[in-house]
Amino acid sequence: MIRTLLQTDWFGPLLVTVAGIAVVTVFSPNFLSPYNVQILLLAISANAMIAFSQMIIIAIGQMNLSVGAIGGLAAIAFAGMMEVWGIPWPLAAVLALGIGLLAGFANGVLVAVTGISAFVITLATLSAYKGMNLGITEAQPFYQIPEIVKTLGNETFLGPLPWLVIPAVLVTVLLWYLLFRLPLGRAILAVGGNPHAAELSGISVSRIVVVAHAISGLLAALGGIMFVGRLQQGNPSIGDGWLILSFAAPVIGGALLSGGHVSVAGTLIGVVIVAIITQVLAVFSIDPFLVQVLLGLLILWAVGLNRLREVHAQRQAAAAARPA
Amino acid sequence: MADIDASAPAETGGGTGQLSPVARALLSNEFGLIVLVLVFAWIFTGISPAFMSKFSVYALGRTAAIDIMIGFSMMVVIITGGLNLSVGAIGVCAAMTAGWLMQAFGLPWIPAIFGGIAMGAALGAVNGLLIVRTGLHSFIITLATMSIFYGVMIFLTQAESFREIDAAFAGFGRLKLAEGYLSPLLVVSVVVAVLLVALFRFTALGREMLAAGANPRAAELSGIRVDRMIAYCHVLSGALAAVAGVMLVARNGAAIPSMAGDVGQNWLLPAFLGPVLGGTLLTGGRISVLGTLLGALLVTLLNSGLLLMQVGAFWIQTYLGLLLLAAVLMDMARRRYLARRKLV
Repeated sequence: MIRTLLQTDWFGPLLVTVAGIAVVTVFSPNFLSPYNVQILLLAISANAMIAFSQMIIIAIGQMNLSVGAIGGLAAIAFAGMMEVWGIPWPLAAVLALGIGLLAGFANGVLVAVTGISAFVITLATLSAYKGMNLGITEAQPFYQIPEIVKTLGNETFLGPLPWLVIPAVLVTVLLWYLLFRLPLGRAILAVGGNPHAAELSGISVSRIVVVAHAISGLLAALGGIMFVGRLQQGNPSIGDGWLILSFAAPVIGGALLSGGHVSVAGTLIGVVIVAIITQVLAVFSIDPFLVQVLLGLLILWAVGLNRLREVHAQRQAAAAARPA
Repeated sequence: MADIDASAPAETGGGTGQLSPVARALLSNEFGLIVLVLVFAWIFTGISPAFMSKFSVYALGRTAAIDIMIGFSMMVVIITGGLNLSVGAIGVCAAMTAGWLMQAFGLPWIPAIFGGIAMGAALGAVNGLLIVRTGLHSFIITLATMSIFYGVMIFLTQAESFREIDAAFAGFGRLKLAEGYLSPLLVVSVVVAVLLVALFRFTALGREMLAAGANPRAAELSGIRVDRMIAYCHVLSGALAAVAGVMLVARNGAAIPSMAGDVGQNWLLPAFLGPVLGGTLLTGGRISVLGTLLGALLVTLLNSGLLLMQVGAFWIQTYLGLLLLAAVLMDMARRRYLARRKLV
C-alpha cells in the first residue's frame, strides 16, 4: 500500500505539504485562521491556472514561454473591454478567454507548421503579445472594474472558500478527465512520450500540438482574468512573473520535461507548496525577496528528485528484465 | 567567412566544391545581414536625415554594443546545444558586484570591473557544474539559477542602486571617439568579437568546444572531455554576460538592480535575436561570431528606426517579436532553398 503510494507523483509532495503546514501551525497558530486560509486559497486558485497552462505543454514535451504574456494580454483585454466599451463582465470574460485561445492556437500552428522549436516560437510570441499589451494600455492600468468582479475575485461564498476556488476546482477535474480518461489526453501524453511512435500509431502529431497550445492559451487567459478580479484592476504587469512559477509547480509535481509524463494532482500540490512558502515568509515577516531564491532551489530539488526516481525506475525495470 | 563550423574541414570536399568562394560568400547569412543593415539604414535616413546625425549614430552604436555582448553570451552556450536563461540575472549580479566594489570600498574602476566579471564567470561555473553533474537539461537548471541569482542579489542589495560610480568609469561610458560618432563600448564589443573568433578558429580549446557541441558522442570517443567543455562554455557565457552588465553600468552611470527587468528576463529576447538572426544553429556545434554581431546591430538599427518613425514606443516589443519570427522563418526558407539546389 505504502509502496504504491510512494510511486505516485503526488504522494511525496503531499507529505511535505502536510508536514510543512503542521510545523508552521505549531510556530504560528494563526496560520490556519479562516482569513489566512482564504488568502492561501485565492493565491492557489489563480496560480493553479498558470501551472496547468504550462503543464499541458510539458506533457507534449515542449515549453511555452508566452504563458505570462498571454495571461497579461487576456487580463487587460478583459478589463479594457469592460471599462472602455462597457461590455458586461461575463461576455468580456468569454471574449478574453477567446483571445487566450487564439494566442495559444497561433503558437501551436507556428510550432506545428514550421517545426521550429517551441522555445524560439514562444519567445517570439511572448514579445509580440507583451508588446500588444503595452501598446494597448500604454503601460497604464484599467481601474474601472465592476464591483461584482471585485467581489468574485476576493470574497468567499462559504466559510473560508473564495469564489475563485470554483473555476479552479472545475478546471482541475476537467483537465484530469481530459488527460487520463479521454482519447485526446492519451494522444497528448503519447506525443510527449514519443512523437515518432505516436505518429506511427495514427495520431496526427501536429494536430495534437495545436490543441495542446490552444488549451495552454485558454488556461493562461483564465489565470489572467482571475488576477484582474483579485487585484481589482487590469494591470499591464499581470503575467510578468509567471514564468518561473509555471515551471516550478509541474516539476515539483513530478512532471518530466522530456514530455509524456505529468500529474494534475502533483502540479496542484506544487502550487500549494509555493503558496504556503510565500505565505510563511509573510507570516514570519521574512524578506519577500527570498521567495525568488526558494522557488529556484525548489525547482532544482524537484528536478533532482525526479531524476533519481527515473534512474531508480530504470534500474528496477532492468532488474526485472534479467532472467532469474 | 566568419562561419565557424565544427565540420568545416570535412565539408570542403563535398557538394560545395562546385561553388566559387565569392558565390558562397554571397549566399552566406552574414552577407544577407549586411545588405539588410545597409538597406534599412538607407530607408531610415531617407525618412529622416537625422538618423545619420552624429548623436544618433553614437547612441545606436552604444546600444548595439551591449546587445552584441548579450548575444555573444548566449551564443557561446548555444554551441553546446544548450541555452542559458540566466544571462540577464548574471549580468545584473556582475554589474551590482562592480558597483558595490566601487561604492563600498572606493575601488578604482579597473579592479572593480574585473571583480564583476569574476563574479559572472563564477556564476556561470555554478550553472556549468550543475548541468554537467546532474545531467539535466540546461533549460531547467538555468531557469532555477536565474531565480536564485536574482533573488540573492535583490536580497543583498535590498533593491537599492549603487550610484557612486568611479567618475573615470562613467566618463569612459560617455567618451566619444572618431569625431563623436563612435562609442568606446562598441570598440570593446568588436575587440571581444575578434577574441572570440580567435578562440574558436585558432585554439584547440575553441575547436574542442565546437566539436563537443556538434556531436558529443563522437567528441567523447576522440578524447575530448565533453563535460568539461560544456562547463567552460557556461563560464565563458557568465563572463560575457558580466561584461554586458558592466557596460550597462558605464552607460547609465549607476548599477541598478532592475536594469534587466524582473529576474533578468528582459535580456532573453536580445540574447536569442542576435545569434538566431546570425545563423547560429540552436542544436549546437555551429556558430557565427560575425553573424551574431550583425544580427544584434540589425535589431538595434530597426529598434531606433521604428522609434524615429514614431510608431509608438510601446509597440516596439511586438515588432521585435515578429522580427524574431520572421528571422527564423526566413532562415528555414533559405536552408530549404539551398538544400533543394544542392548548394550546401
